[in-house]
Amino acid sequence: MKIDLEHLEYVYPHGHRALDGVNLTLEGDQPVALIGQNGAGKTTLAKHLNGILRPTKGRILIDGVDLATANTAQWARKVGYVFQNPDDQLFLDSVRKEFAFGPRQLGFDQDLIARRMEQVAGLVGLADRLDDHPFDLSPTEKKFCAIGSVLMMDTGTVVFDEPTCGQDKAGDDRLAAIIARLRGQGRLCITISHDMKFVARNFPRVVLMQHGRVLLDGSREEVFARDDVLEQAYVTPPPITRVARQIGLDGPVFTVSAFVDAAWRAKSGSRNLSLDTTRAKGVKQ
Amino acid sequence: MPGPASNGIPDSPLARMHPMAKIAGVCSLGLATLVWPDFTMGLGIVVILFVAAALARVLRPFTGVMFGFGIPITLMLLFIQGCYSPKNTKVILDLGFAELGLEGSLYAAKIVVTLLVFLGSFYLTNKTTYMGRLVAALTQIGVPSKIGYLILASLNVVPQMQRRIAVIEQSQHARGLETGGGLISRTRAFLPLLGPVVLSSLTDSQERGMTLETRGFGIRRVRQTSYLEVVWRRSDTVMTILFTVFLVLALVLGCLSRTGLVTFAIQWGGRA
Ligand SMILES: Nc1ncnc2c1ncn2[C@@H]1O[C@H](COP(=O)(O)OP(=O)(O)OP(=O)(O)O)[C@@H](O)[C@H]1O
Ligand SMILES: [Mg+2]
Repeated sequence: MKIDLEHLEYVYPHGHRALDGVNLTLEGDQPVALIGQNGAGKTTLAKHLNGILRPTKGRILIDGVDLATANTAQWARKVGYVFQNPDDQLFLDSVRKEFAFGPRQLGFDQDLIARRMEQVAGLVGLADRLDDHPFDLSPTEKKFCAIGSVLMMDTGTVVFDEPTCGQDKAGDDRLAAIIARLRGQGRLCITISHDMKFVARNFPRVVLMQHGRVLLDGSREEVFARDDVLEQAYVTPPPITRVARQIGLDGPVFTVSAFVDAAWRAKSGSRNLSLDTTRAKGVKQ
Repeated sequence: MPGPASNGIPDSPLARMHPMAKIAGVCSLGLATLVWPDFTMGLGIVVILFVAAALARVLRPFTGVMFGFGIPITLMLLFIQGCYSPKNTKVILDLGFAELGLEGSLYAAKIVVTLLVFLGSFYLTNKTTYMGRLVAALTQIGVPSKIGYLILASLNVVPQMQRRIAVIEQSQHARGLETGGGLISRTRAFLPLLGPVVLSSLTDSQERGMTLETRGFGIRRVRQTSYLEVVWRRSDTVMTILFTVFLVLALVLGCLSRTGLVTFAIQWGGRA
């Protein structure tokens, strides 16, 4: 799928200009991370991708079709959006009903819904909680319930708004698995996140926003190499990336193993390092 | 505290008036209309309320509320009372299937203006009063601050639920629910909203209560101060006196006219 944003501007009814001329093309199956400080306009942008908000100026093309030509319910077939706060999204009295709501609206048949239910429930880790009330789920489970209810709709693009907050490592791993699965299925996954470690590990492409504009758009290596811009946008790269940069390793690194490799390369290249790289081998991230 | 009217109240004499004076106004105007023998006084007050609404720069929503409520209720009462009131003797209009009687119509008019005066004055008060000020004024005259909080909290619940419902509806559309879908499918989607929305606003209130507690709200034997100073100005005294005098006059004249000693109300050819 391909989504084009052209000169997108959005002004909230009270007069706040949340988007100020965004030009962006999102396409292919490479997961994209949308980052930026609080209030940068990420959620506002995401809510445009299926027409929940309509641009004040500019336009959005989905596979070449202007988004203005149809309503949100129709775009729901193509773009799934998981709200930042699961309480904004969950309203039925069981996880099963939540999962079935979207596909029912889209007219999936009962068999297909049942099949997807099984897959998705396993993927989001709620297989044995299908008959529970969403209100009784833990905050993390609620988040996954909201994610599952959107995955059920089988859309070509999925937008996650801040799926990584208040989650432990198991949750992060599960999320990473979901993102990898979407990519494997050739779907476009756009994720808003403040967790730079998570972003660096899972998203080949990163878009940085500030004050309703796109500051940087490129591969994670390109974006996380731009210390000056990142600092200006109040975004801090992952700790390991910063350490590697500080000691002068080549290129941005995002994982411990990449760090170690880079350190070895630097050492064998007899560069002068201020760190004993043998020690880094024992470190687990 | 975000409330129904926490901000966006245009500055006007009405907005600056002390909330208690406004409440005195609501009571005085409403009761006066009620005791007056016919609808003329109420009609006059309704006209004055429209002027006041214009001064307070809320004419547009005010007109909407007054007509939105006034027109259907007038039609309904005119039909019921005007056509079927047992008091009817004089026919003023023949509708074919029924006859519109004068007495019933006058009675209907009186009920309508009374309702409109209460509704309009209450709406104006509500529209021009920041709820925090109202509660501060109440605590000023000795209402316990807990009751004040209760009032604020319950006033807050409704807009809070409205916001919640609006967001959840967004999410329903994002999951394929058609806006224009049939009435049945929309009702089916709307009804289940009520559970979580009510539930979450209850837990919200509970949590807010707890944070208030940790900030010393429930402390005893301390005279609490208020961040919002609500001053009672001379104009408020004047207005309150005017309202009181007006009510007393209306009461006395209304009673006199009922006993038949004096006639103020216009003789319509029958008694309303
Ligand atoms: N409903 C609204 N009405 C008015 N202004 C809003 C509304 N929602 C957001 N804003 C404003 O628009 C700007 C962008 O908000 P947005 O929610 O898109 O930011 P964000 O990048 O998602 O931030 P966060 O990381 O905190 O989620 C903010 O300054 C915010 O105050
Ligand atoms: Mg956001």
